[in-house]
Amino acid sequence: MKTSYMNPYLAGVLLGLVLLMAFFFSGRGLGASGAVKSVVVTAVETVAPEHAANSLFYGNYVGEDKSPMKSWLVFEMMGVLVGGFLSGALSGRLNWKVEHFPGITANRRLIFAAMGGILFGFGSQLGRGCTSGSALTGMAVLSVAGFVSMMAIFGTAFALAYFFRKNWI
Amino acid sequence: MGPLIPQEIIGADWNLFIAFIIGIGFGFVLEQAGFSSSRKLAGMFYGYDTVVLKVFFTAAITAMLGLLFFSLFGWIDLNLVYVNPTFLGSAIVGGIIMGAGFIIGGFCPGTSVCAAAIGKIDAMVFIGGIFLGIFVFAEAFPLIKDFYMSGSFGGLKVPEVFGISSGVFAFLVIIAALIMFKLGELAEKKWPREEY
Amino acid sequence: MTVKNIVFIGMLFLGVVIAMVPENTTKPYKLTAEAMLVEVQGAAEMVSADDVAHWVISKDPSLQLIDVRTPDEFDKYHLEGAINIPLSVILRDEYRDYLDQGVKMNVLYSNGTLISHQAWMILRQLGFKNNYVLQGGLNYWFDTIMNPQEPSTLAANEEFAKYDFRKAASSALGGGGAVALTAPTQTQAEKPKVVRTKKKKAPQGGC
Repeated sequence: MKTSYMNPYLAGVLLGLVLLMAFFFSGRGLGASGAVKSVVVTAVETVAPEHAANSLFYGNYVGEDKSPMKSWLVFEMMGVLVGGFLSGALSGRLNWKVEHFPGITANRRLIFAAMGGILFGFGSQLGRGCTSGSALTGMAVLSVAGFVSMMAIFGTAFALAYFFRKNWI
Repeated sequence: MGPLIPQEIIGADWNLFIAFIIGIGFGFVLEQAGFSSSRKLAGMFYGYDTVVLKVFFTAAITAMLGLLFFSLFGWIDLNLVYVNPTFLGSAIVGGIIMGAGFIIGGFCPGTSVCAAAIGKIDAMVFIGGIFLGIFVFAEAFPLIKDFYMSGSFGGLKVPEVFGISSGVFAFLVIIAALIMFKLGELAEKKWPREEY
Repeated sequence: MTVKNIVFIGMLFLGVVIAMVPENTTKPYKLTAEAMLVEVQGAAEMVSADDVAHWVISKDPSLQLIDVRTPDEFDKYHLEGAINIPLSVILRDEYRDYLDQGVKMNVLYSNGTLISHQAWMILRQLGFKNNYVLQGGLNYWFDTIMNPQEPSTLAANEEFAKYDFRKAASSALGGGGAVALTAPTQTQAEKPKVVRTKKKKAPQGGC
């Protein structure tokens, strides 16, 4: 089934407006990796509360009056799930599948997806944000961190593209 | 005058609800643009699909101009808007690692959630990977902490670095983006895409 | 006109416009003129010299005296515990945290009340709370607290009480007064309530 996507420039303007509304209402921009971090923190706290409390990393987020899941990003990500689903439903793009370049197997795609995720998880914490939180939002507020993130992410992806071309083209 | 919640014009209890609504908008637009497809996202780096470039920069510029004009009209107090702090070393290395993750995995966290919402199993596996990656970071944190905190410049903004006004800088970004858009269109013509 | 072209032209146009606008660094006024008028007519910003003397002697931790005169005048003499924020530099970022806060009671003073009032007006219009003006300024302070005049024998008891208090205050504060006639009465100085401004949280965000 042929699927039609929105005009990218129009989508860009709309996304920019959504981001602007986040600034206007909440004084902050978008984000994504922070929400996954909250889930990780909560999971570790549930399974090993002492380790969590003593850790330099988790320790910031656990404690008497802190509930890591009640965070702006967690609620935002829940919205993303809903919004993405709605859009997929309206455009007839809902179906379970492993999307991959026909030249490789689905399993190979999944292995690389997992590796990419691990790298992104680690990198997003080190870089204090991912493409939505640091690069996109950061650029909108003109922060040096935003532009540096954007250039590092896209630059590296371009530089490494040749080595992974078999997976995509 | 915005931002409304930090200025206490709207109660802080609304913040999470607003986050949810904004998320819906975010997810909807991302999916509509095709960011729920790893092949479209990766296409950016092989020339056959520059949707990432167009959407990303158009969105950043729209919000950038929006903030500057809102501030000009007195509709928002930019001092109360969060500016992500610059920690140079970790930003660069983190960005490099993320760039690798992008070309290998074909997603970034936001788009992976969006794709998972429409049933993409590779996206779900990617998200699983994110969990692991964050867990590894958290456990290794004591070792990395010093590097993580190095190179701190606070909420430094690019126009401040070059001594130009925000408006002039925004204009330069727009020019750069327009040039990249043109190059992107040329690339798409040169490396045509098949249906996917 | 395709969507693409509309977006391109829009961006260019808005970009040119915003590039021509100078950096916006104004600090906007938060109170309307009507609200300010009500406030100045109510004179709730005044605090009496007697009250301030009482707070200084009892070492009230919530009091912060702010001297808005020039640094030279401050060096020659200033009230104990006062900090110097000259009117000319009152808008500087470095003094923001002293003037826009919800913990202490700032009492602005100058030689008379002109400068301290000018300072108060500006700060109040910016929406800052907990700033007050010392009634009569340093001139009145010297005349009444430091060198109190003995009331005539026909004066009311209240006058004598005030005199006793001021005598004790002046000796506590290093003035030239003699020993009081009776023990200083602990007049319960009515303190203006410190408006606890919810500490303006630094903007939150991040990924």
